[in-house]
Amino acid sequence: MAVSSMFGISERRAFRKLVSNSRDRLYRMAYAWTHNPHLADDIVQQTLCKALSNQRQLRDPGAAEAWLFRIMSNCLKDYHRAKREVLTDDDLVIVDDTTPEHETEEQQLVSSVRRAVQKLPLPQCQVITLVDLEGFTYARVSEILEIPVGTVMSRLCRGRRALKEFLIEVRPQLDEGRTTKLTRVK
Amino acid sequence: MKKDEGFSEEQVNAFVDGELDPEETSRLYNHAARSEELDQRLCQHRKMKELVKHAYDNVPEPRRSPRAPLGGGSFFGRAFAAGVLLAVGLGTGMLVHNYFDQNPAGNVPLVGESVAEVNNYLLHVTSSDPEQMYAALQHAEALLEAAADGEQRRVEIVANEKGLDLLRLDVTPYAREINALQENDVVFYACSRTIERLKESGVQVELVPHTNADYTALDRVVTRMQEGWKYEKI
Repeated sequence: MAVSSMFGISERRAFRKLVSNSRDRLYRMAYAWTHNPHLADDIVQQTLCKALSNQRQLRDPGAAEAWLFRIMSNCLKDYHRAKREVLTDDDLVIVDDTTPEHETEEQQLVSSVRRAVQKLPLPQCQVITLVDLEGFTYARVSEILEIPVGTVMSRLCRGRRALKEFLIEVRPQLDEGRTTKLTRVK
Repeated sequence: MKKDEGFSEEQVNAFVDGELDPEETSRLYNHAARSEELDQRLCQHRKMKELVKHAYDNVPEPRRSPRAPLGGGSFFGRAFAAGVLLAVGLGTGMLVHNYFDQNPAGNVPLVGESVAEVNNYLLHVTSSDPEQMYAALQHAEALLEAAADGEQRRVEIVANEKGLDLLRLDVTPYAREINALQENDVVFYACSRTIERLKESGVQVELVPHTNADYTALDRVVTRMQEGWKYEKI
């Protein structure tokens, strides 16, 4: 089937629905990659722009979600590349001004995990968040980031190891003895 | 209890991520039942995975300028008011999501498909180069002139980053030209985020009259593209 005929009105409508419905998830992922709400929002909007203008490039509608995340990963790469070249007003980093004194225990837990994720090199951070937040398979992550599955696995290993070390520093109880016995659950 | 029998980090990760085949999964469960060390490693990995997921359940939203109510009266030109009427129910940004949810069968035609698929244009200015700014204005004029008889072509110009200079009253060399285009129903948008950033750095921003500053540039671009407008970055 010709690509153009795949995108009649109903397909376009379905595609726009998918794009719109993915916005929250893309934003959550962009935030996990940048920890900057403004930047995350910009990256998501650029992603949506690109997706909408390049929708004819999507040949397999079943791979649309991975395609969106791949576009977003590329948008972030472009951002970092441009940032190295020129810093504009719109690149100002908005820092979260919450301090530990103002946080509840729950917020502290969330903050310490986010800080730990933030400390990871971006490639490790991306693999971990794609797997843990979106539940993507290793094969899908490999497509999204355009890297071999073996690289996905090794980044995941290094990333989780580093994450564990960061977290144990701030939350030593993570390394204490287990509290539940692992059991198979249907 | 046995030791964990040398299961690799990759295998443990693959186990908690559901990437092992059923046979391998069973083998790991069986070993974990006999090895406290392996059991602990698996628990720890699962806990880490859950912690990461939990940490991003609720992420902070970007600060955005409050938006004017739809159909915001005389501030907007007639063309924008018409656009707003068409967009009721769609709104912008996240509201689009609601629209689709409420119209799963897609019985109501999308704005872009019924009206604006072909002939409406959004021009995006990001440069403060006067030549480029002027090119954008000229292009808008040319697009209007090229409209066929009876065709209701709509043209909007959105400016952000350095391109905001086009719409800053004390900076732009083209206030008169902008005004002339506005009289021909061209609608101008100044990026609310760029304005916010300039204000944060102590710059007073005064816009050319009748410029809309209720949206971020990218929000506007996304919305219009979703509606089927043609997009051109100048």
